[in-house]
Amino acid sequence: MATAIPSIACLGNNPLHTSIFPSYDPSSNSFRPMRTPLQFSLILSSTLDVFELRSRQNAAAGVGLTGDFGLLHAVDDRLAAYGFETNTGTRFVVIVDMRGRRIDGALAAGLADGRDKRIAGAAAGLREGEMRPVFKAMQVAYIRLMQNPFFDPDDHSPPAGQGGRKITSRKFAEDMRRIGEAWTPGVTSL
Amino acid sequence: MASSKASRLGEEVWKTRMDKVNAELVVLTYGTIVAQLCKDFDSDYVEVNKQLDKMGYNIGLRLIEDYLAKSNTVRRCSNFRETAEMIAKVGFKIFLNITPTITNWTSDGKQFSLVFDENPFADFVELPDDGRAQDELWYSNILCGVLRGALEMVQMQVEAHFVSDVLRGNDTTEMRVSLIRYIDDELPPEDD
Repeated sequence: MATAIPSIACLGNNPLHTSIFPSYDPSSNSFRPMRTPLQFSLILSSTLDVFELRSRQNAAAGVGLTGDFGLLHAVDDRLAAYGFETNTGTRFVVIVDMRGRRIDGALAAGLADGRDKRIAGAAAGLREGEMRPVFKAMQVAYIRLMQNPFFDPDDHSPPAGQGGRKITSRKFAEDMRRIGEAWTPGVTSL
Repeated sequence: MASSKASRLGEEVWKTRMDKVNAELVVLTYGTIVAQLCKDFDSDYVEVNKQLDKMGYNIGLRLIEDYLAKSNTVRRCSNFRETAEMIAKVGFKIFLNITPTITNWTSDGKQFSLVFDENPFADFVELPDDGRAQDELWYSNILCGVLRGALEMVQMQVEAHFVSDVLRGNDTTEMRVSLIRYIDDELPPEDD
């Protein structure tokens, strides 16, 4: 199954969790990841600088302490990285594949005659706030992870703890997979 | 006491006489206790089970007074079956707002299972992934101690242990309770 999200990640200052999903490749008519894990990892790490920059701007302007950072950067004509930061400094990054989206029959028909503005708009590009359900769902999953008494946040952050470990929770990975596979533009709840 | 009557009693006491606290407070506090025990005993889960049971025992010894007062119980249960009803439909109901199902009675009526459809303690919990916790740790073991302590105060010596837990990947969470004996009120030795 093709997904609209080739990669979904949860970052502190170190990667906490990364899921990579296959995209549809028309040239070979197969499903496979668009980039190697290393390439995705580099893309994700480079978003950290954007976060840094934005949050400094936001702090100066006195707005947007937490929440949706919107489009971080467009990697190429196909991939774009969107970000979200919590108050505790955990960043969620979703890389969106603009071409890999699924279009079902009704939706395609709406596109063709252009009557359904909402769907047509969704196809032309992502609108403001369309990533919100994804981040909302990721945040819910992250909160549930934090509620687990056996999860020790100190293990995962380099500045304060022994640091650097990835999230190993199966439930969290499962949630990420569900979010990645279920989301397409226009989905409002996950 | 008929089982429906016990349910009604539990419902009524829960609604009218119990002070409520935030569920997350309870869940997170209990979770911290278990996690800390695991740390303190260096992931010796057998020992952690034992400590949880001991804590529960001490809670049970005190909790039973509260239970008797709140539920206005004036007489003894006539048999162990009735005791089970009261534990599940009144005791668990008023303190945790859950009603475990009573099943698997042995024919002599001295052993039964409590099956927990929901377990407020275990919300959010994922056992540590070290290959042993899944086999050794009974996360909610404090409940066994509570039953043991509470029943001992009303002259019943019981043994309680978990036999399955959804946290371990089992289908149900089941606690086995067996009556060992009724403790006779022991008179102080006469000094002839």
